[in-house]
Amino acid sequence: MSASAPHDFAHESRGWRSAYWICQVVGWGSYVTVGLAMVPADARAQPAVIGGYVLFFFYSIALTHALRALIRRRQWLSVAPGRTALRLIGAVAAVGTIQAALIVLVQAIWTWTPPFAAGPRFAILMWFNTTAASAFWITVYTGITSLQRTRRARLHAVALELGMREARLQSLEAQVNPHFLFNCLNSVRGLIVENPPRAQDMVTRLANILRHNLVRRADATEPLADQIAVITDYLELESVRFEERLRTRIEIDPVTVGCRVPWMLLQTLVENAIKHGIAHLPAGGEIVVQSRLLQGTLEITVENSGSLGPSPADSTQIGLANLRERLRLLNGSTATLDLVALAPNRVRATARLPHDPTLLNSQNNPPPPS
Amino acid sequence: MKHAPPRPPGSPAVLIKTLLIDDERIAHAELRRLLAAHPEIEIVGEARNGDEALELIAKNSPDLLFLDIQMPGMTGFDLLGQLDEPPQVIFTTAFDQHAVQAFEASAIDYLMKPVAPARLAAALQKIRQSSTSLPRLDQVFVRDSERCWLVQLADIVLLESEGNYTRLFFAHEKPLIPRSLAQLEERLDPAVFFRASRQHIVNLKAVERVDPGVADNLIASVKGGHKIEMSRRQSARLREILSL
Repeated sequence: MSASAPHDFAHESRGWRSAYWICQVVGWGSYVTVGLAMVPADARAQPAVIGGYVLFFFYSIALTHALRALIRRRQWLSVAPGRTALRLIGAVAAVGTIQAALIVLVQAIWTWTPPFAAGPRFAILMWFNTTAASAFWITVYTGITSLQRTRRARLHAVALELGMREARLQSLEAQVNPHFLFNCLNSVRGLIVENPPRAQDMVTRLANILRHNLVRRADATEPLADQIAVITDYLELESVRFEERLRTRIEIDPVTVGCRVPWMLLQTLVENAIKHGIAHLPAGGEIVVQSRLLQGTLEITVENSGSLGPSPADSTQIGLANLRERLRLLNGSTATLDLVALAPNRVRATARLPHDPTLLNSQNNPPPPS
Repeated sequence: MKHAPPRPPGSPAVLIKTLLIDDERIAHAELRRLLAAHPEIEIVGEARNGDEALELIAKNSPDLLFLDIQMPGMTGFDLLGQLDEPPQVIFTTAFDQHAVQAFEASAIDYLMKPVAPARLAAALQKIRQSSTSLPRLDQVFVRDSERCWLVQLADIVLLESEGNYTRLFFAHEKPLIPRSLAQLEERLDPAVFFRASRQHIVNLKAVERVDPGVADNLIASVKGGHKIEMSRRQSARLREILSL
């Protein structure tokens, strides 16, 4: 749907454009035809009269088309209705005046007589006539345009809603690693017989993680303390699966627990450490999570046994890329995320965020302009 | 690595020697409990990774493997690819979309963890049927880019060499496997599989017609519309075999 929406808009605007030209030609054409029909038959035969009407047809289209261009360029129909009405009335008067002046001028040139030879009555009559016609034109034009706008707005709203729903679905998938979830459930099934209190504990921890990951939230950041609680539950669950193969150490500097960090930051790093480190090692390994403040920078590191190796083209790269993108949106270029091999069998992910209390404690703050 | 307890009294006469392969102890225990409802399953061992599994397979030659896909060091697919004569296999997986896609079209069964007892019973029923109706035939594990099969050698109609790889033709499939034609020839029954040319081995039971070609060469038409032109020497050999 979201992919085909631009095409629909383009298609629609092509339709509107041809409708516009048809209206122009038919509208001014019938105005000219009716006008000619009302002229006395002997006058109608004069080339000056016919020529005047034909010219009127073309410059009326040109004038109103120019008015349309002006309305669109200046976006008159998007601003407050009061000011728009005044501008449109002014524009109608101007177009009507120019049309009347051109009629008088064309007739004077064609018949080679002074413009107001027959007195001002003809010119005034023409002015009323053309002003009424352009008022009619502007009414039809704004009417159709606002109709078109409403339709577009509705279409846009639908596309937006669909896009958001899609994004929410995708994030649901990203927020609960299905492989982890089903392995967990399998362990719970086994523990129900083997060790019921442990099974109960697992269910509680799994509920904590799901609640944290699935509940929709308005803020893009959360206190580090919340993330530590989540990864503690997560690592506890994984150690039910991996048993002696998973050893963990969490070393958090107490001054960092209140710092606000992007949502899922720590969890993404720890999940990667399991998925690409421990899970590949028959003998298992260690995961070390640390946080500290260094000269105004919050540094979070996740170290694990394992090697970087050729990473399979799966969700990790996407996970890390997403995380980097979120860091960038929240903190600009001052936040970094690196993944390096410390040794052949040791990998470390490091996230560095500026520790500006006003920035980190506020929610959803865009980065300050650099 | 664990070894099976002695067979309980009163168990059925035909036992299916089964090896459990999974990296999680709890998953083993859970599967063991589920299998307790099926007395014909004799668990001959438990392996926690591919290397342990290879060792136990060599030692116990099980009839059936319960094989986890995601394991450290060696995946279930890697393990199966290393076996010259793979036994029956039931894959187990927690969540693996690609693997499930691989199984959809094939005879290999798979179970999603946590395993539903009814689903396990159905998988075992399939195994029983295939192992009692006919003697266990040689089979080969074949994995193409997206799908995998456990192919009975007898079902293969034609093998075609492509460098160090061989393309197998069976049913409507023609996957490429990373083994040379010569390697495969060693495992094939020479009474059934005939080396028709440098590039081809044909299943004689799948040959529909043999026509004379240029000179003394023969052209064999194999099930599936393949026409294999044989060398003069092989043509002579085929004549000899067919006249017997």
